[in-house]
Formats: sequence, structure tokens, C-alpha cells
Amino acid sequence: MSFQPPATHAAVSTAGVELHYGATPVLKGIDISLSKGKTLALLGPSGCGKTTLLRLVAGLLAPTKGSISIAGQVVADAATGTFAPPEKRNLGMVFQDYALWPHLTVGGNVSFPLEMRGLGKADRQSRTTRALERVGLGAYADRRPSDLSGGQQQRVAIARAIVAEPQLILFDEPLSNLDRELRENMVGELAELIATLGLTAIYVTHDHAEALTLADDVAVMRGGLIEQLASPDQLIERPATPEVADFLRLGGIADLDYRDGLWVFKGSDVALLRGAGAAGNNARVLIPVGAISIGEIGPGRLAATVLRSQFRGDGHLATVSLAGPTRIELQVLSRVKLRPGDAVGLSIDTHQVRWFSGDIHSSKKESLEHA
Amino acid sequence: MKANGIGGAAQSPALAAWLAIVGLILVVAVPFGAVVLQGIFPNLGQGSFAGPFSSLFATLADSALIGMAGNTLLLGGCVVLASAVVAVPLGVFRALYRIPYAPFWDVVLLVPFMIPPYIATLGWIMTLQPRGYLQQLVGFNLAPFLFSLFGMTLVMAFNTFPVVYFAVSRTVEAVGSRYADVGRVFGATPARAFWRITLPLSAPGLAASLMLVFAAAIEEYGTPAALGRRAGFQVLVTGIDLRITDWPIDLPGAAILSLLLVAMSLVTFLAQRWILSRRSYQTVGGKPTAKDKRPLGALKVPVMIAFAVVAFLATGVPLLAILATALSRTISGGLSLGNLSLNNFILVFGNSAGAVGALVNSFSLGIATALITGLIGVTAAYTVVKTRMRGRMTIDVMTILPNALPGIVVAVGLILAWNMPWLPATPYNTGFILLLAYCCILLPQPVRYTTAAFQQIGDNLEAAARVFGASGITAFRRILLPLVFPSLASAMLLVFALASRELVASVVVAPVGMQTIATFIWRQFEQGSIGLGMAMAFIAIVITTLLPLLLLTLLRRSGLVAE
Amino acid sequence: MLKSLKNITFGVVAAALTAGVAHADVTVYTAGPQSLIDKLSAGFTKQTGIKVNVFQATTGKVMARIEAEAANPVVDVLVSASWDTATDFAKRGWLVKYSSPNAAKVPDFLKTDSAVAQGISALGIAWNTKSGTPKPTEWADLTKKEYKDLVNIPDPAQSGSSFELTAALAGQDNFKLFNDLKANGAIIAGANADALNPVLQGAKAAVFGAVDYITLAAKAKGESIDVIFPASGTVIAPRPAMILNWSKNQDDAKKFIDYMLSDEGQKAVADEMLMPARTDIPANRPLISDLKLLKYDTAAVYGKRKETLAEITKIYGGK
Repeated sequence: MSFQPPATHAAVSTAGVELHYGATPVLKGIDISLSKGKTLALLGPSGCGKTTLLRLVAGLLAPTKGSISIAGQVVADAATGTFAPPEKRNLGMVFQDYALWPHLTVGGNVSFPLEMRGLGKADRQSRTTRALERVGLGAYADRRPSDLSGGQQQRVAIARAIVAEPQLILFDEPLSNLDRELRENMVGELAELIATLGLTAIYVTHDHAEALTLADDVAVMRGGLIEQLASPDQLIERPATPEVADFLRLGGIADLDYRDGLWVFKGSDVALLRGAGAAGNNARVLIPVGAISIGEIGPGRLAATVLRSQFRGDGHLATVSLAGPTRIELQVLSRVKLRPGDAVGLSIDTHQVRWFSGDIHSSKKESLEHA
Repeated sequence: MKANGIGGAAQSPALAAWLAIVGLILVVAVPFGAVVLQGIFPNLGQGSFAGPFSSLFATLADSALIGMAGNTLLLGGCVVLASAVVAVPLGVFRALYRIPYAPFWDVVLLVPFMIPPYIATLGWIMTLQPRGYLQQLVGFNLAPFLFSLFGMTLVMAFNTFPVVYFAVSRTVEAVGSRYADVGRVFGATPARAFWRITLPLSAPGLAASLMLVFAAAIEEYGTPAALGRRAGFQVLVTGIDLRITDWPIDLPGAAILSLLLVAMSLVTFLAQRWILSRRSYQTVGGKPTAKDKRPLGALKVPVMIAFAVVAFLATGVPLLAILATALSRTISGGLSLGNLSLNNFILVFGNSAGAVGALVNSFSLGIATALITGLIGVTAAYTVVKTRMRGRMTIDVMTILPNALPGIVVAVGLILAWNMPWLPATPYNTGFILLLAYCCILLPQPVRYTTAAFQQIGDNLEAAARVFGASGITAFRRILLPLVFPSLASAMLLVFALASRELVASVVVAPVGMQTIATFIWRQFEQGSIGLGMAMAFIAIVITTLLPLLLLTLLRRSGLVAE
Repeated sequence: MLKSLKNITFGVVAAALTAGVAHADVTVYTAGPQSLIDKLSAGFTKQTGIKVNVFQATTGKVMARIEAEAANPVVDVLVSASWDTATDFAKRGWLVKYSSPNAAKVPDFLKTDSAVAQGISALGIAWNTKSGTPKPTEWADLTKKEYKDLVNIPDPAQSGSSFELTAALAGQDNFKLFNDLKANGAIIAGANADALNPVLQGAKAAVFGAVDYITLAAKAKGESIDVIFPASGTVIAPRPAMILNWSKNQDDAKKFIDYMLSDEGQKAVADEMLMPARTDIPANRPLISDLKLLKYDTAAVYGKRKETLAEITKIYGGK
């Protein structure tokens, strides 16, 4: 885990931010920093505190501890009591439920931020039209939000967020209310929009694909803490914890014990690889999907049974269980459809195995021919 | 009646519709029709249709009529304004901020509902008149303020503002903080977010509640009668009352004035419904949670003071005046320890002048009224909202109509209708006539509540029940009824409270030998036993406030009613 | 559980509702005090076994009910607070001619062939003894400056006796007294009780023309109030009892009239601080013989009712 200390050139930074509801801590010390023109995704399961963090940045909540800066300005500091209300933070925001004001027209919604910034009518109109055209809704300015479909409403919400060219745009699970196909299209459009406009954005989502697609940096959150803050590549290459790996669905997580010069799957006699270690050592590893190839049962391959399988676009992602008394689940990509109960043989490229708790360095390990 | 989509679905809506129609005809159409006919045929009471329209012009040509109608509108307008000034700020704060002891304030601000307006008015008179309680306590009186349009407005506003307070706090809570927050993210100051977003979004709910207040104000009898007469301020209701109680009686004239009043309220209610149906955003947007409410911060003390002052004026002053009077041995003895006596309460519980009987009668009638209006209300609302049946507009109109019928009109209509000599059997001169009167006057409450509840229930919920094998009736009973039950229960409790204190119709149609709480109190006042009347009033207020609260708590605990 | 609750409620409700149904009993509509009619009906039932159904309200409300019920009337006996009712109903031919044997001791001017007085009230000045004002002895006293803004007048439009007093006094000096009262801040304050209540609390010092028995009853309860009957004269309001000709229980109705005029019935009347109709029944209050009565022609006074009320309205404004 590496993060920069809050610096003046950061578009957004937080230092030691905590938030408690009564005695319950929701955020337990968050440090993030985001440079101008970059997008940070806050990724995590529901209840991890990602939306809370976003609302803190927006100024809809005040931190219990710690400070938040936007563009070098401290906007909230629990120690000094500094607190800039949302309207002073020059933000745009897209909400999960769109939060379009039902009593205003589409145009009225979009021009609202401009109006608040005191722009003249002509200027407002042209910029509103431009923003709406950018999201493909140029002809809808006079409609009511309730007349629009969900996807159209979310486009209006996006237009409203970008129209005033704020220094920071916050996305609060903006696509989770849309159906899958629409969502996938919108991810692409959003990515393009963010890139062409050079937006600085924080993007909250529980969908790792969205996060990895859109963001320059991804903060994986869990239980009010950031598990790992890194670029998408780094995250995939070097997930910091099993939980991160699991949440990103990088592959199967396995517990290994060291016995007689071999690393064996915990609770079984199946050895994964030979390597240095001491008796009684144990380790958790990630076996990436790509590290396992699948074939007929045969020598040099681990016997396994298919538990379930799902089509994933580039193949069938199957969850399999190694033969043996304990259930050890691994994930594997197959070009052909597998049925639950099918017996398969696995060969694992142990170079790709990633070790989380390292008593040993991976370089010391050797590959093992499976018996 | 046609089936509505799902095969065999006809019987449940048809049954509901027939129930609603029969109930509505009996409770609403009959008395209203009688009033209309009386207005046209002045000799209807003698069973004659002679001389149609002969009294219409005489009444309408009365020069005092314009004054009365104008005063009615003026008073209604003033009460609306005053209620808004009192209730809107409190409601907004209640909705958006974490108010300390919020449930307590809600209960305290609900009490004015339970204080009959004529009692509250008398309480105010006894407090503010020369040598009244205020003068006895602090040495000055405010009589000149009280006996004026201003005083009338304030007394009535303190009685009706809870309608606005609860409507505003509910609508603002639903739309306010969420959408306003979004506005602030986009650069609006709190004030601008309130004016540009919260207020316009809450406006339909606010306007609707203000129209309720207007309708209540133009129909109110007790306060204009007690305060307005001295200020020379006559309104339509007191005009009707005069025509009914001034010998020789002018029933046709009263009927015509009633129809004028009915027209005014009807316009108000149609406007209210129009606003609500055109622009209601209440169902849009997410549910607010307590967490979303902001702390009051520096506003804490002023807001608390505002709540306390309003609660004191609306609830404290009338209640204390009632209690002080009830506990006085003699009125002329004033506020002194030596004059303190439980005598009046002992008399009530000792069944003096039939006090206990009056309590039993009123509460029985209250319960029966709540059950019947609940049944008619839920079936009528269901038919109007959930079916596409022909004739449902008629049902709709019949359920709005009582909103526009003042109690005295209903009473006269019931007498006219049920006292025809050729009727083989009649509820007249039995308790059932009171039941009919209360049902007619209070029917709008359950209808309004359950209509709103039905509108929020997606059509798929009922359809799903049908798909999974429930008959139309079963689906209604097992799915829809439980879903609207919280609203229905609240409405029925309100009906109970209002029915058990209804005065105007009770005085006119109470069967011989039967007293209700209100007629008991009224009689005591008329005979100068103010203390005994006030003791009864106090007991009734306590019971009508505590009983529903207790029931709601029980229901909530048993999980039948959610907050 | 809910169902049994429902059953119980319905039972209670039904019992309560049918309690008021009129059987073949005597139905009395009365504008008199509730406690009096309660006592009379209880005594009557005890003596004869005939049940009495009572409707008690102000005269105006009783009239409203009778008129509204005109098509299907139920009232057997009517006790009004205004003799005018008896005259009017007799003219309409609505009354049964009846002379009760117990009416022998009722003076002639308190009975006709179809109506007889139950009791008599008189109008006087109701004065709060703790008001700090001198005790008034005459109507005109209330125009003095000591009573500035402290006088209530019952609305003559709402009270028959109050109207007769107004008409009689106004006839003497062409409304001068009422103009003077108005100049002294007197107001018209609703029906009898509405006018009296502020005087009890002390907001006003006196009622100009209060119904005496209500005031005397309050005094008996310990209120600091007194009634003064001006020596210049006042009006009395005999309360006529009559039997309606549509009554299906005329014999029982006659028995009720008999009971009302019996020693026991008249004693109950006296206990309410009303003057008994029979001259041989003692009462703890001034009687007709103690009062000077104003002279006026009732028929003429009622003939000009509209004009008189209009003049009063002109003087006191409003309405």
C-alpha cells in the first residue's frame, strides 16, 4: 500500500478521516489523494463506507476526525471545526437515484448549477444545451424528468453534473439502477466523457468492472478502511490482501500448509508446489484464473469436480473443487461449457501464484511436478 | 360492472363498489338530497312540493348575504394565513432537523385537534376577558384583541394549524432534505435550496393542507358564534344557525345558505384535489432516515422556544383554562386556593345530569362511526383508485361532498329525509340518526387516508396475489387491507376522536332522552354551570387523546402499524 | 381476538343506540332547565309507571326540531320558555284543549284552554357583588359611568323574554335607554348564558335583563352574584306547557301536565328557582306579587318584532 501524503497539488485529499455515528465507527481513518484530471474509484461491498466517504467529500456529512482538502483548500477539519458547506465546494455530483428535481424541467435541472453560480440567462441556455447534447438529450430540455426512461434520467443527471465544469465530480453508484446492457454502454460513454473533458472525479461503485474500467486509481474499501489503493494494473498484479483479490474476482484463494518440503492445500494431501519453508508454516495464496489450465484427468494434473459454471463473455468461468475430503474451491476459465459434477484435471502455473503472508519468498520456491 | 383484466376478478371490486355505493347513498346522498330539495321546495317539511324556488330569491336578495359570504371568505383566508405562519416554520424544522423530544412535540401539537373548538374558544374568553385568568395572574387583559377578527383568527388558527404542521413536516421530510442536499452540491446556499427546491416540492402538500384549513374555517360554528357576534361579524354558518334557531324558523333559507357554503367548500376541495393530482411529488425519491436530519446547532434555543410557545398557546392555554374552570368551586371565586374544588369532577362521575350516560353514548357512537366510515372509506377508496369501474367518479364525488357539508346542514338534511311520514321505519329519534350524521360528517377522513394509501400500492401486488391463487376478496383482505391498515387505523382513530365531541349536528338531531358529551357540555353552559361543563370537557379531551395514542402504541408494538 | 372485540363493540353500540328509541311513552320537548325536566320525569315515571323521553334545548332549537319534524312529529308535550309559542301554536290549531284539575290554583293569566304555565321566570339585573360597582337598583342605573363597558345585554333575537323586555322598555322612551346603554359601552352578548358567564368571572359587572332563575341558581351555588328586580318594572316569562294535537298518547300527556302541576311537580319547579305557576306553592325567591310588571300589549309588541330588532341592530351595530 502506498499513498502520497496530502499535497497542495492534489485535487482532493483526505487525512485520517473518521466518521462515527454515535459510538459506531463508519470510517476508521481514511487517507486518499487524487491528482487533477484523474479518476479515483471507491470500490467495495455495501456497508464498507464508500458512499459515506463520498458524502464527506461532498460536504453532506462532516468528519468526526481528520481533514479533507479540495484543490489545496481545507474544506473540513474536525480539529479546527472548519467546515465548508457543499455549495462552497464547487462540485458536481451524480446520484444513484438520479435525484432530479421533479418540479423542474430537464433544462431547469441542468441549468440549476449555472444559475447558482450567477450566470446570465443566455449563457446558461447555451451551456445547458451543450451539456444535454453531449449526453445525447439535446431535444429533451423542456420535458419533465418523470417523462424520461431510467437511462435518460441518468444522462440528465450527468449533464447536470458536468454543465458547470466543476473542479470535482462525484459519482455515487450512478449506474447501479440501470439494467446490464445499458450499464455497460454507459460505462464506456462515461469513460470517454471523463477522458475528453479531463474531469477529476471520484466514482463510488460496488462493481469491480466499472471501477477498473473508469478509474486511474482504485481504492478497495472494507469495513471502514481502505484495503488497498493502487492503479488497476497494480491491483490485478499485486492485490494486497486475499479480500481484495476475492472482491476483484481474480481467482481462487487457498490456504496452504508446509509439510515435508511441500506446500499442500490445507486439510488435504494435495501438494501445490515444492519450496523452502519450515514445518508448521502456513500461507494464503491467490491462484489466478489465468494460472490454471483445464484438461482431461491425467498424470501431472489435479483431479477436481465442477461445482458451478457461468458464461463470462470470454469463456465459461467455472468454480471447481479439488478431489479430497475438504472442499478447496478454485476458479478456472474453460472454453467449453462445463456442467456441475463433471470431473476435470487442472494444471497450475505456480509462477503466477501470489503469496499474501510471506514467510518465504516466491523465488525460493520451485515448481513441482504433480504426481 | 365489467371484469378488470384478470379472469373472474369482477366479484371483489363489484362487492366493494356495491358496499361503498349503498353506504354512500345512505350516509351522504340522502341528507344532501334532502337539503337541495328543501332549498327548492320550501314546504318540503310538510311533505309538499308547492312553490318551487319561491324562497330562493328572497334569501339570495337579502342584503346581509353578501356581508356574510364576504366575512366567511375573509375569516377563512385569515385563518389559513395565520395557520401557515404558525405551522410552516415548525413543520419545516421538524422535518429537516433533529428536534429534541420530537415525539413529545408531535403529541402536544396533536392535542388542539382533540379540544373542541367551542371549548377552546370559551377557554380563551375566560383567560383573556377583563378579570379573566390572565388578568388575575398578571394584571392585564387582552379582551380588545380577542373579540375581533384578529382574535377569532388566532383562536381558530391555534385549533387548525396541526393539520398544516403535520402535512408540512411529512411532505418536507419526504422531499426536502434529500433534494435540497443535491441542490447544495450544485452550489445553492441553504436558503436558496429551500426556496428553489424544498418549498416548490412541498408546495402541493402545503397548499392542500391549507385548503383543508380553509374548509374547516368556513364551516366552523363555535368560534364565530362566541367571538364574532360581539364584533358584529356574521358568517354563513352563524347565519344558518340563526335561521334554524330563530323563531320563526326559516329552513328553506338555511338550506339555501347551506348550499352557498357547500359551493364554497366544494370549490376549495376540487382545487385541492386538482393541485394534489397535478403536482404531487411525494412518492418520488428515496425514504429519508433519521440520520439525514441535521443537528440544530445554534438554532436550538430559538427553535425550542418557538415550539414551546406555540405548544403553550395552542394546547396549554385552552387546557389550563378548562382545567382551572373545572376545578373552581365558583366562577366568581377566581383563581384562589380556597376556590379549588373537585366538586365538578365528582358531579361528572356521580352521573349528575346524565354525565356518565353521555360519555358512554359518545364513545359508543365514536366507535361505531369509526367502524362504519372505515368500511365505507376503504371500499370507496379501493373502487376509485384500483378499479376501472364505470360510475366510480360518482363514488368519488360522493366521498368529497361531505367535506363541503357543514354539520348543521347534515343534521337538517337528515331530519328532512328521515322524518317523511310514509317511511315504514326510520332511524330518526334513535341513536342511529346521530350515527348517520357523524358518518356523513367524518367520512372524508378515512377516504382521504386510504385513498393516499391505495395510490402508493403498486397494481402488481394485487395481481401477484391473484396469480398465486387468491380470489379477489382474499387478495383484498390478505394483501391490500393489511397494506392500507396503518392509514386506515389512524383515520379511524381520528374519526373516533372527532365523532365523540361533535356538537352542532348532535344538538339538532340527538334523539329524545339521549345526551352526548358535546350536548351535555353545551347544556351545562346554557344553564350557567360552566364548571361542570368544563370538567366534562376536560375528561373527554383526556380520553379522546389518550385512547387513540394507547391504541396506536399497542398496534405498533404488535407490528400491525408501522410508524 | 379482533373478531370478538368487534362483537363486543357492536353489542355495546347497539345497546346504546337503541336506548333512545321512543316507545309508547310520553315525549316531552322542553326549553326548561335539564335538571328540572329530569326531576319531573323521574317523579312522573315513579308515580305512573309511564316512561318519559326528553329533548331539552333552547326554545329556538326546540322550535327548529318541531318544524323540521312537522311531517312526522313525535312530540307529545312541549314546554316552551316563551308564552308566544302557546299563542302561535294555538292559532295554528296544533294544541289539544285541556284544563288540568291541578291548574285550579294557577292564576288565569297563566293559563288558556290549551296551555298552562309550568313556572315563571322574570328578568332582572344580574349583578356581580364583587365587581366593585355600586349595587344597581334601576335599569337606567346601568347607563351611569360606574358601569362603563361593564354591561351585557342578552340578544333579544335569541331570547323571547329578552325581546319582550326590550320591546316594553323601548316603547316607553323610544329606544332612549338603549341608546344611552350603547353610549355607556354596553354590548349585546349572545343568548342568556353567554351574557351571564362573563359577569360571573367579573369581566362584566351586570347583565341587563338576565333570566332570574339561572342567576339565582348560580347564587345558590356560591357565586358572588345577585338579581335585582327594578322597581320601575320588569317582564315575566311564563313557561307554557301544552299538548300537541298530533300526540298519540294524549291521555298520558295529560297525566304529565297533571303531575307537573301537582304539589310535588310544582315543588320541583320552585327548587329550580323558578316561580311556581300555582300561587299556593311556597318558593324561596321573589314571586310575581313582589314584582312590578311593565305594561305592554303583547300582540302589538310581537307584531312589530322585526322593526324592534332592526332598531336594536341599528343601535348596537353588526348583524
